[in-house]
Amino acid sequence: MWKSLVAAIAFLAVGGSAHAASAVNKDAETRTLIVTEGGGKTELALAAGETVEFCPSGCFVTLPNGDLEALTGSETIEISGGVARIK
Amino acid sequence: MSVFIKDVLQNCLCRPRVARKIMFFRLLRLVLIAALVVSAPPSFDALAQALGQGAAGLVTDQQKVIQSLTAKTDDLEKKIQQDGQDDATLVEIRLQLEDLSRAALTSALAFRSRLGDINDRIETLGPPPAAGQPAEPDIVTGERQALASEKAEINAVIASAQNLSIRISGLIEKIGNMRSELFRNQLTKRYVLSDALSPEVISDANDEFTSFYKAVSSWLSFAFKFKFQAILAATLMALALAAVLFVGGRRLFGRVFEADPSIEDPSYLSRLSVAFWSTLLPSLAVGAFLISTVFFFNYYNVLRGDIGIFLNSLVAVIAVVFCVNRLTNAALEPRLPNWRLIPVETGPARWLVRLTTAMAVAIGINYFLSVVNDKMGSPLSLTIARSFVATISVGVILILMGLLKPFKAADGSWRPWPAWLRYTAVALGLFTIASALLGFIGLAIFVSVQVVVTGTILVTAYIGFLSARAIGEEGGFANTSIGRWLAANSSYEETALDQLGLVVSAAINIMIVLVFLPLILLMWGFQPGDIQAWAYKLATGLTIGSVTISVTGILTGVVVFIIGYFLTRWFQGWLDGSVMARGRVDTGVRNSIRLAVGYAGVAVAALVGISAAGIDLSNLALVAGALSLGIGFGLQNVVSNFVSGLILLAERPFKVGDWIVAGDISGTVKKISVRATEIETFQRQSVILPNSNLINNAVGNWTHRNKLGRIDIKVGVAYGSDIKHVHGVLLEIARSHPLVLKNPEPFVLFSNFGPAALEFEIRVFLADVLSGNIVQNDIRFAIFDVFADQHIEIPSTPRAVVETKKHEAWPIDDDKIEVEFAEREQAKALAAVEAKRLAKSARKVRKPDPD
Repeated sequence: MWKSLVAAIAFLAVGGSAHAASAVNKDAETRTLIVTEGGGKTELALAAGETVEFCPSGCFVTLPNGDLEALTGSETIEISGGVARIK
Repeated sequence: MSVFIKDVLQNCLCRPRVARKIMFFRLLRLVLIAALVVSAPPSFDALAQALGQGAAGLVTDQQKVIQSLTAKTDDLEKKIQQDGQDDATLVEIRLQLEDLSRAALTSALAFRSRLGDINDRIETLGPPPAAGQPAEPDIVTGERQALASEKAEINAVIASAQNLSIRISGLIEKIGNMRSELFRNQLTKRYVLSDALSPEVISDANDEFTSFYKAVSSWLSFAFKFKFQAILAATLMALALAAVLFVGGRRLFGRVFEADPSIEDPSYLSRLSVAFWSTLLPSLAVGAFLISTVFFFNYYNVLRGDIGIFLNSLVAVIAVVFCVNRLTNAALEPRLPNWRLIPVETGPARWLVRLTTAMAVAIGINYFLSVVNDKMGSPLSLTIARSFVATISVGVILILMGLLKPFKAADGSWRPWPAWLRYTAVALGLFTIASALLGFIGLAIFVSVQVVVTGTILVTAYIGFLSARAIGEEGGFANTSIGRWLAANSSYEETALDQLGLVVSAAINIMIVLVFLPLILLMWGFQPGDIQAWAYKLATGLTIGSVTISVTGILTGVVVFIIGYFLTRWFQGWLDGSVMARGRVDTGVRNSIRLAVGYAGVAVAALVGISAAGIDLSNLALVAGALSLGIGFGLQNVVSNFVSGLILLAERPFKVGDWIVAGDISGTVKKISVRATEIETFQRQSVILPNSNLINNAVGNWTHRNKLGRIDIKVGVAYGSDIKHVHGVLLEIARSHPLVLKNPEPFVLFSNFGPAALEFEIRVFLADVLSGNIVQNDIRFAIFDVFADQHIEIPSTPRAVVETKKHEAWPIDDDKIEVEFAEREQAKALAAVEAKRLAKSARKVRKPDPD
């Protein structure tokens, strides 16, 4: 009983603490985001159907269509048809 | 991964603020657009134009913002280069840079909705016609071009914000490197002592003293000539404040912090509290006096030039020396051996006080001279010379302290400190002296200052910890003045006071950690900015991998849950005690409603608490999914009992106080909870019966609708008796008992021609089946009396009696007999005591249990 409780709390703690921007690629091909964060640029390649959490606390991101956007770290980016939308 | 982990800690602070700001902007925009629509409905063109102008304004606004941020960054970068030698400035610059970085991100965020609008519009317009297709209208081409150019502008502004943020990150990293480099340099720089310690130093010192004397005396003569009244007023005010603090403090707390020499053996707790408070209160009083002096001097503009800085450092030195002296005096009490915290002898105690004070004085003078050196621009040799003298003296004092023999053994010989303390002190002293002699003056100064200040803080904190422990001991809190007051003025029992003592002791421990840990960190070269940033991080969320732990979040959740819990309890009590009691609701229903409200309230409080803790409730679905397998297997019984409990509450087959029979268990229901029901058997054994048993199996309830019940009493009469007469007699006996109901009527059954007797059975109904045993007894006694009176025989089956004779063996062991006799006597005495106790605690007589 106690073990189950502890496990449940651990689950909650892990599940509840995911505070980051996430990106979903709904296309059938790999899409790339360029993330600028803390003085460095990294390329974030999203395979088809993949969801990635990144940028927990503010960053700049270059979307597949070349647009540059600032993120606070709580948004969801959805890529479909090569077009990214921020929600 | 690592990229964002690295920056998480710095930037996560700004997120809520930014989010709120965005919300605010969105709302504002919404309101503006709504206002536009309402006030100027005529043409769509005008609206579009207004929006377009708004967007153009946005670009220029944000351009300006980013330009100003860039200018600020430029300034800060210059400042880094100029003040690169000062650690505190670097920390401050870092904090400002972090703010700028956040501001850059915020300004870039302002474009989000406009960019979205543009993209939507471009999509609506569709791609430009390919070659060979019919050309589109000019207006569409124009709009597309306009949108594209606006988008390019916006992208350019965001890119500049991005570049600024990258640049700021680089600067922050550079500051970190510079700071560690500074620290390393300070500790590892080696000076040539032969230059510094030449005879020239004496003349240098003489020159410096002369100029210092001139500065001070010229200030004094100026102050006395022109500011005499102000000085007088300031001094008087500071003195008055000090007097108020001192006299008032003594009046208020005198009892607490003055050792009473007449007490022969004060408790450790009172010694500790005297030591703690007699350090803290006078130090606070003196500190307040010194600070107020400086404040009033500043207020009246008495201070001039460098004198203010000298005075500040002098004040700091005096405060520290006073505090150290008070602390050692309080802990060692050279005059009052009874009140000593550490059981050292009187002579060594006196020496320890002197040595510690001397050490504090050495460090303090060195600090004051360093300030003077700094302001006077004295030669390096002088700085090295004074640091050398100070560190060597601290090292010598440390070694002396370590070599002191403070304890006396039973045979009168002197015993040294415990080995680890002795070796640490001597090693630190030797290290300081050696590094000073080798020319590592910076290292030596660092170590000696740390030894004095950290040592003082640690000793104070240790005394605090000890008093917390003493309060937490059993009966410790009840003996404190607060405990006595509480015991006299409240209804707290001793155990409650004890638990309160534990809470207080835990609180004191936490407070000590909160106060002294930052102090020690400050002393070890961390800057206030660092500590503040850590505290902030710890409070808002510490990220380990992708898991964020937020102390404030968790605390808020817990507090919200506790408030919700108590609200529920209060509501429950109100509903039960006021509403339902007055509404004359059945106890069973009352109990069910109370429990249901309680569980629902706790569940709601838990949910609200979880969401207040920052845990996303939508994740609960995921967790429930993950746990459903576990529920299916491992928690099967628990869940089935839980559901059974809910059914019991709704269906109410029995209520609290009912006499039920479930399987082998028969007894009174004491409590119905959601998992199990507590039943007390008539032998007063509490049986916890899982609810599923009560739902799945037959449960007999003697007192379900009413307490009416039948009891049967069997009796046999001898063959040959007048059975009509017997029947009449039995019926008469049954009818004449006051507790037996007239309706349904008592009935006497002639039940059997038994092997030895004619068997009858009296069946009577009682209003309260719980009094069955009394009635049974009464009726049996009555039958016996009446049968004896009327010569009706109750046959009994004869049994053979075989008598055997056993001789008691002659006693062999006298001792054994004696022991046995003593044991018997003791048992008798115990029984007598027990009987007395029982007689004393005689309670209201209860009627016997039904079974």
